[in-house]
Amino acid sequence: MAAQRNQYFTEYQELHEEFPGQNLPWLNQHRKVALARFSELGFPSSRDEEWRYINFSQVEKKVFLPKPVESTDQVDRTAVVSYFVDDCFNLVFLNGRFSTQLSDISELPENIFLCSMKKALQQFPEQVSEYFAKATENEDHGFIHFNTAWFTDGWVLKLPENTQLDKPLHIIHVATDSDVLAATRNIAVVGENARADLLESYVSLTTDAYLTTAVNEIFIGKNAQVSFCKLQNENGKALHYSGTYVKQEKQAHFIHESFSFGGQTSRNEVHTDLGQASECELNGLYLGRKKQVLDNHTRIHHRLPDAISRETYKGILDQRARGIFQGRVIVHKDAQKTDSEMNNRNLLLSEDAEADTKPQLEIYADDVKCAHGVTVGQLDETSIFYLQTRCIDKQAAENMLTFAFANEMVDKIKQNQFRKLVLEQLLTHFPQMEMRKEWVL
Amino acid sequence: MSTSAQQIENLIGKNYKQGFVTDLETESFAPGLDEVVVRKLSAIKKEPAFMLEYRLKALRHWMTMKTPEWAFVKFKPIDYQAISYYSAPKKKEDGPKSLDEVDPELLDTYKKLGIPLDEQERLAGVAVDAVFDSVSVATTFKGKLKEAGVIFCPMSEALQEYPELVEQYLGSVVPHTDNFFAALNAAVFSDGSFVYIPEGVRCPMELSTYFRINAANTGQFERTLIIADEGSHVSYLEGCTAPMRDENQLHAAVVELIALENAEIKYSTVQNWYPGDKTGKGGIYNFVTKRADCRGDNSKVSWTQVETGSAITWKYPSCILRGNNSIGEFYSVALTNNYQQADTGTKMIHIGENTSSTIISKGISAGKAQNTYRGLVKVLKSAKNARNYTQCDSLLVGDRCGAHTFPYIEIKQPSAQVEHEATTSKISEDQLFFCQQRGLSPEDAVSMIVNGFCKEVFKELPMEFAVEAQALLGISLEGSVG
Repeated sequence: MAAQRNQYFTEYQELHEEFPGQNLPWLNQHRKVALARFSELGFPSSRDEEWRYINFSQVEKKVFLPKPVESTDQVDRTAVVSYFVDDCFNLVFLNGRFSTQLSDISELPENIFLCSMKKALQQFPEQVSEYFAKATENEDHGFIHFNTAWFTDGWVLKLPENTQLDKPLHIIHVATDSDVLAATRNIAVVGENARADLLESYVSLTTDAYLTTAVNEIFIGKNAQVSFCKLQNENGKALHYSGTYVKQEKQAHFIHESFSFGGQTSRNEVHTDLGQASECELNGLYLGRKKQVLDNHTRIHHRLPDAISRETYKGILDQRARGIFQGRVIVHKDAQKTDSEMNNRNLLLSEDAEADTKPQLEIYADDVKCAHGVTVGQLDETSIFYLQTRCIDKQAAENMLTFAFANEMVDKIKQNQFRKLVLEQLLTHFPQMEMRKEWVL
Repeated sequence: MSTSAQQIENLIGKNYKQGFVTDLETESFAPGLDEVVVRKLSAIKKEPAFMLEYRLKALRHWMTMKTPEWAFVKFKPIDYQAISYYSAPKKKEDGPKSLDEVDPELLDTYKKLGIPLDEQERLAGVAVDAVFDSVSVATTFKGKLKEAGVIFCPMSEALQEYPELVEQYLGSVVPHTDNFFAALNAAVFSDGSFVYIPEGVRCPMELSTYFRINAANTGQFERTLIIADEGSHVSYLEGCTAPMRDENQLHAAVVELIALENAEIKYSTVQNWYPGDKTGKGGIYNFVTKRADCRGDNSKVSWTQVETGSAITWKYPSCILRGNNSIGEFYSVALTNNYQQADTGTKMIHIGENTSSTIISKGISAGKAQNTYRGLVKVLKSAKNARNYTQCDSLLVGDRCGAHTFPYIEIKQPSAQVEHEATTSKISEDQLFFCQQRGLSPEDAVSMIVNGFCKEVFKELPMEFAVEAQALLGISLEGSVG
């Protein structure tokens, strides 16, 4: 393992000159510190309490390196465009680098600032430095340091006060080649009273293994609203780490929806720091088959009074899949009148599937209302029986109930075009392939 | 001392009335731990050879281990070489044959604690084994129990009289390699209780062990082993207290329960070790490993605990549900006040088919205390139709305390049904106001509400214990309101 770590180190010396922002001392300092810390820690292992159910040893068996796409002609343009969502600004990243040719953001209003991280570091480095690593400063694990050292590009979005993205922004991360490292670092700054809807999707044009690491830092101003939907739909060999770190000001509202359907080993992290009287809603659905390992990790800090958090994650695990949920709510001593609820429900469909869950409440204030609930089980026999008495055969009844279980999460998506996309993907990934689409209509 | 100072002193004393020291001549080892100490201990106890071997094996393993740090508790590192590993009241040549020969000072101590060792004085039929510092000083009702075929005696006696039973079962549930404190205990345990209930016997009375730490600078390491043979039934109670001292004392016990086919064990604890004073000085470190093995089909183990004492409590009474249809239960009330810290909960490991477990945990945190529930529910692939229900409620009294819930749920069997619920809240102003309106003082009102909150657990306790537990909660909460 250490040998691989060293190799990352050696490769870094050769490659880092191509990474963006080489002329910026503050960024070089960040990268240097992160690289040193990564060489100490390595990638997380199941010996770390926060990573105890997931095994990322595959990441250390190979060396994944950034591989720029020489020319867009090499890429199947129609395949990429097929991932576009109608009535959205579609932003395309190929192997962790922004693609101007494929992206379609021409209609973006002028008062909204959106560009690639590479360009932002060239043209507005001070503004980037104001936010870079500010939402992740207390994080200390291998993946975050690895991302800081190795990121090749990303996106930067800035919405001034009182503005609104009139169409949702769709960020498509495409991996085109085997053994590629797609490392992006992304920042969204949403000003006071502003509003943005974002969707990020992760897809593969290759069937081989590769590594995605994406870190999103999102700063939500007073009274602003952000909804962020994530669809991880990578190939069955892909390794995926993505962390979304959010800082919410007073009365800011944040909704995150995570759908993990693809990948071999996938870790999805959502961490938010709530401001006074702010609200967050974290929802997720993970659908595992074969030997997939899908890990969801969330952390909500209630630091100030009157904030509300709601969280629901659901898992459907078939064949030899393993689903993991770790949710942590920390109510600090000044966070009186906190209202927090967390739920995790798991459906085990096979003898070999496994669900591990670890909901945690850490509470230091007394005037709070906090609850969490977990269930793990199989489909309710009486419900199946009921459907059978209505002349629906057992298999169809089971499919129906499983679909209903999952669809509850899809229904929570407010943007029609996103909901449609996720639903389509859900149906193709569904354990029971003969699922009839008529039910949905 | 002036009168007012005296009054204050009394008030403080009231908080922990078991905090006195008994002046006794004791026989203690010099502080320190190495093979020589273990050999000496084993020799004093006149133990069979296998025991010494076991202890040495454990000691060697312990030497290679590090103090675990994952728990949600903070304490200064313990210097294991500064602890004396054996302390016992000095006794006459052969040891007491009957109660008449027991040092009257000792009898007085237990009387003060409300544990009369005199058989006539016992109101209900409860057999008591009294463990003072490192040794058992008296066991009551031995004769009556023997008639029923029940063995209830100090561990040291069991090692001499029933070595084959001890050898067969000791360490079979908690091996000496299990964890840091279990390894330490296996190396240096000095006494404890041994219970064997033969096939088909329903133990005619409740069995009880009363642990008392008295000497300073010693650790208490007792080992309890309860074996319920096929179709038997036993209810066992455990109580503990210690003097008030400024230094922290270590208590690292191991309890092993074995339930064979159709057997049932009910194990109740009221833990009231000295919790330290209001500023967090002193108190017992209670680092205990308790585990039950439901080895036979249809066996049942039920843990009930009321934890009000100790500066730090770190324990997880667990059930390994190996037999088909076996049942594990865990009912717990953990109350922390002032600077107390508790990291407690349970582990339910489902292995057999149709196994079921219930976890009811009530945590109350007051003052500047930290109270953590940590529990594991693990359903292995073989545990078809396993069932678990977990409920963890926390109550916060005051705005400087913490209440935490860390459940771990690992399920490998689709037919398993697992439910977990947790809530955290504070005593509502309305409830308090209502009680006060009816003429209750704020303190009584809090005590009453807390007792109501814990009712589900208290009803599992044997009668006398339930009364004691309720009174204890009231005392432990004193000074936490306002």
